[in-house]
Amino acid sequence: MKIKLSKLLVNLTVLCLGNLSLFAPFIFTGARTAAYSNTAFPLTVSLILILCILLILFAAQSDSLDTKLIAFLGVLIAINAGLRFLENAIPGPAGFSPTFFLIIMVGYVFGGHLGFLMGAMTMFVSGLITGGVGPWLPGQMITAGWLGQSAALLKPFVRRLNWTGKPAEVILLAAFGAAWGLIYGLVMNLWFWPFLAGTSGLSWLPSGGFVTNLQRYGAYYLATSVVWDVTRSIGNILVMLVLARPVLKILHRFRMRFSFTQVKAGGS
Amino acid sequence: MKNAAAWILWLVFTLAFTLATRNPVYLVVMIASQLLLGFSLARQKNNPLWLRGNLWFLVTMVSISALVNTFFVHTGSTVLFTLPKNWILIGGIITLESLVYGAINGLVIASLYLAFNILNLALSIKQMTHLIPAAFRPIAMTVTVALTFFPSVQTRAREIKEAQLIRGNLMNRASDWAPLVIPLLVTSLEKAFLLAESMTARGFHMHKSINKRGSLLIAMVLGVFSIFSGWILQLYGYSQGISLILYCTGGLVFIAVFWLAQRAEGSTRYHSVVWTLPDILFSVLFILASIGLFSLRGNPAFSSLQYSPYPIIQVPTVQVMGIALGLITLIPAVWLSHD
Repeated sequence: MKIKLSKLLVNLTVLCLGNLSLFAPFIFTGARTAAYSNTAFPLTVSLILILCILLILFAAQSDSLDTKLIAFLGVLIAINAGLRFLENAIPGPAGFSPTFFLIIMVGYVFGGHLGFLMGAMTMFVSGLITGGVGPWLPGQMITAGWLGQSAALLKPFVRRLNWTGKPAEVILLAAFGAAWGLIYGLVMNLWFWPFLAGTSGLSWLPSGGFVTNLQRYGAYYLATSVVWDVTRSIGNILVMLVLARPVLKILHRFRMRFSFTQVKAGGS
Repeated sequence: MKNAAAWILWLVFTLAFTLATRNPVYLVVMIASQLLLGFSLARQKNNPLWLRGNLWFLVTMVSISALVNTFFVHTGSTVLFTLPKNWILIGGIITLESLVYGAINGLVIASLYLAFNILNLALSIKQMTHLIPAAFRPIAMTVTVALTFFPSVQTRAREIKEAQLIRGNLMNRASDWAPLVIPLLVTSLEKAFLLAESMTARGFHMHKSINKRGSLLIAMVLGVFSIFSGWILQLYGYSQGISLILYCTGGLVFIAVFWLAQRAEGSTRYHSVVWTLPDILFSVLFILASIGLFSLRGNPAFSSLQYSPYPIIQVPTVQVMGIALGLITLIPAVWLSHD
């Protein structure tokens, strides 16, 4: 009970502090030390995100990860990192990334904890393999982690509406993938956007209020990222429509197979 | 310099200096040092395209940043030309000051990127995996399984793709990728199942229940809150001392939790971490340089760290200290031939 409560506390803390750090440019407006905010902002946000990730990994590994899940997750991460490697080697349409698909699937079938681990660790391992370790990595890890974690929220919804195994289930997953294609880009821009401080209508204004900065970020997003993210969303829809049904069947089958337990010698 | 911890200290110093200065001369010295160091490392690792790729990145970054700032920021005294006011966002005066400010921003971003790029070049995947604290043993094991399986997953993907091509599937459409992904997933998960069975049969990673895990989690939550509060107070200009205390408290809590969890988990070291004399000397140098930089940051005697082309562009002041700090980044290259 105590462990469950502390895990709930951890999830809430990570959600609160992670979001407060990422959305700091809108929330903590009127910061007096603008010079500090501009220069050290991205790295400080990255540091807090690293601590949040450590916190949730420590909580998740305590009882979620046994040998079966270590092997299972390790192999799925290797496949996903391979897809990301492929994406770097043979760039598809701008913004398209095949890695989101498996993260969503794992979160949806195996629950929030494994979904978070799958998302965060896919980014970490593929960062190691592709030489992509940098201040951007904590943001990628936590956002991809949230993607996997939030996919688990669809499950009760699908069960309640009795959509399991029906086309509506795939359509819902595709819509979820499309939404996250945009959300991922929106969130990932935030850690370095304040760094581009200036006086243009696109940059962060430390003395500006919530609405002013939101408008500026909106203009920045439309000018720099929207095409990229829309392509990612469309890519997620396509991959989901093509692959979701067979992959769901495979994951459900392996979920049963991976649920074996050790029986103590002489005991039942 | 081979030790991963020494390279992390190098990274900390490089990031600290890059973020502490806006003086373009210091930034150019720093970037030149980084490029030289990266070039030496890349030559050692038979990567002849490293320098060209990163020079290209540097030029692109500085150009884009300078152009965006020039056309979107209409501040400054030295007017280059004027665009019609009715042109949305870009209409107005185009100034030299905005151009220089944007270029400096580009230099800072390029330097940050280069620092991490060099770290990726200097450290092997194994060394990076070793940086995962022992308190995260299950996570580290998962990462190791993923890294071990990665080459075989790639080989299997290539084999399946070749088999599909022989069958006439040219993989032009999204739906054509299903015959590649599905067998890849099934065969990989079969392997994972075998691995899980053999790991369980050998009693690998028998679950140990760490006493007071709930308390450790709560301590970590408090640690993150402490560091976050220090940051918010610093953002709002409160005393740096209070923020420093909060940062240190949070950091110490995390170190203590990791130490306790590591002790409870227990681990075996198959390879001892080697600290050579240069590793120790350079680590001390990077620590001292970082502390020196931190203490000199707001000092009027070292005002040349800060530079702004606004409101009217001026030649930046240059001090020997700044050049020397920029050159410290290059120091690991001196010892590369001895490694």
